[in-house]
Amino acid sequence: MVNRRIRLLLVVISLVVLQTTVFTHLRVFGAVPDLTLVATVAMAYEEGPVSGALFGFAAGLATDLFLSTPLGLSALAFALTGYGVGLFQSGLIRESRGIASVLGGVGGLVGNVIFIVVGGIAGHDELFAIHNIQIIILASLYDALVAIAVFPFVRWAVREADAGNAWPQR
Amino acid sequence: MVVYRRDTRGRTLLLMLVVTSLVLVTIDSGNNGIVNTLRAQAHNLISPVQSLVDDAFSPVRNLANGITKYSSVRDENARLKREIADLHAQQLKTHGIGSEVGQLEKLLDLPTVQGATGIAARVTGGSPGNFERTVLINKGSSKGIQVGYPVVTGDGLVGRVTQVSSGGATVTLIDSPAIGVGVRLETSIATAITQARAGDRQLTLGFLSVTDPKVQKGELLFTSAVANSAFPPDVPVGKVVSSTKSVGALAPTITISTLVDLSNLDFVKVLRWPDPTSTPSGG
Repeated sequence: MVNRRIRLLLVVISLVVLQTTVFTHLRVFGAVPDLTLVATVAMAYEEGPVSGALFGFAAGLATDLFLSTPLGLSALAFALTGYGVGLFQSGLIRESRGIASVLGGVGGLVGNVIFIVVGGIAGHDELFAIHNIQIIILASLYDALVAIAVFPFVRWAVREADAGNAWPQR
Repeated sequence: MVVYRRDTRGRTLLLMLVVTSLVLVTIDSGNNGIVNTLRAQAHNLISPVQSLVDDAFSPVRNLANGITKYSSVRDENARLKREIADLHAQQLKTHGIGSEVGQLEKLLDLPTVQGATGIAARVTGGSPGNFERTVLINKGSSKGIQVGYPVVTGDGLVGRVTQVSSGGATVTLIDSPAIGVGVRLETSIATAITQARAGDRQLTLGFLSVTDPKVQKGELLFTSAVANSAFPPDVPVGKVVSSTKSVGALAPTITISTLVDLSNLDFVKVLRWPDPTSTPSGG
C-alpha cells in the first residue's frame, strides 16, 4: 500500500513539475497540455470513478498552487472529470489501442469546460471569452497527444505496486 | 444491493470533494494568508528546477528565434537605428520641458518613477495554465519584491507582481483581462483605463475622461499620475493603433498595442513602488 501511495505521489509531483517548468516553454498556439488532468483521466480509466475523483482532487489541488485562479478550482474540475470518466469507462469502454488519446482529449475538454464555467461563476468573468473556446480545443488536442505517455506512467503506478490499495476500489 | 451501496458511497465522496473545493475557492477568493503561504512554499520548492529548465531551453529558444526571425531581426535592427537617431533629437527637445515638469512635481510633492529603485530579474517561464497571462521571474521576497510592485522593461510597462515567494514571483501582464492600467494620452491629454480581452494582444481604452478626444494613430500612452495609483506615473504603456467611432456611440473605440513585446520577455525590472523607504507627506 505504501509503495503504491509513493508511486502515485511521484506521478503527481513529477507531472506538476513538468507542467510548471518544461511545458511552459512548449506552448503551441497559446495552449499547454494539462498533464495532471490527463493523469486523472488515466487513473479513472484504470481504477474507476471513486479513485478517479480522489486522485483528481489531489492532483488538481497540487496544480492550483501554481495558478493565479482560486485554489480548489482545478481540484473541483478534475474530481468531477475523474468521476465522470470512471463511470463512463466502467459501463462502455473496452481496451483498444487509441483509447488513451481519445480519453485524454475528451477528458481534457470536459475538465477545462468545467474549470471555465465554475471559475466564471466564482467571479472570474474574464474566463468567459470566445478565445478560450479555441484554447480549450487546442489544449484538448495537446492532452490527447501527451496521454500516450501519461497513461502508461499512471498504469505503472497502479498496477506494478504491491497488492494493497491507496485509493478505494470502485 | 451491493451495487446500490457502492454507488451511494461514490456519490457521497464526490459531494464531499465538491463541497471542499467550493469552500477552498471561496476562502481563496478573499485572498487568504494561509493559501498565499502555501503557494509561496510550493513556488520555493519548484523555482530551482524552473531556473535549470530555463537555462536548458534558452539556447534552443535563441537558435529557433535566430533561424525563424533572421530577416525580421535585420529589418528591425535598421529601423531601430533610425529610431535612435530620431530619439536623440527628440530627447534634446524634451530635456528642457522635462526639467520644468520635474520642478513642478517637486513643488506639488508628486511621486515620480525616477524616484523608484528597481530590481533586475530574469523571466524563467510562462504560466503553467491555459487561461492566464502571467510570467515567472527568478527574484522574489528575499530580494525585497512584494505583491503589487510594477514591472517594466526599457520599452515600457510589463505588468504587476501578483504572487511572490522567497525565490521567485509571478507577474500578471498588462494584456491580461485581470489588469487595468490608468493611462493618459500624450497629446490629446485624455485619461482612460486599459481593458484587455483573452487572446487579444491589443488593448482597448475604457472610461475615457473626454467623450471625443482628438486621438492620432501612433500617439503614445503613459501611466497617469493619480493618487495611490498601482503604477508610477509617466511609464510608457503603448501606442494608438486605431480610433473608430460607430454611429450613435458616445465615445470612440481606441485600440492600442503595448510597447513591450509581452510574448518575448527575457529580462525585466521590478520597481519598488510605492517606495517603502519614502515617508508619506501631508498636503
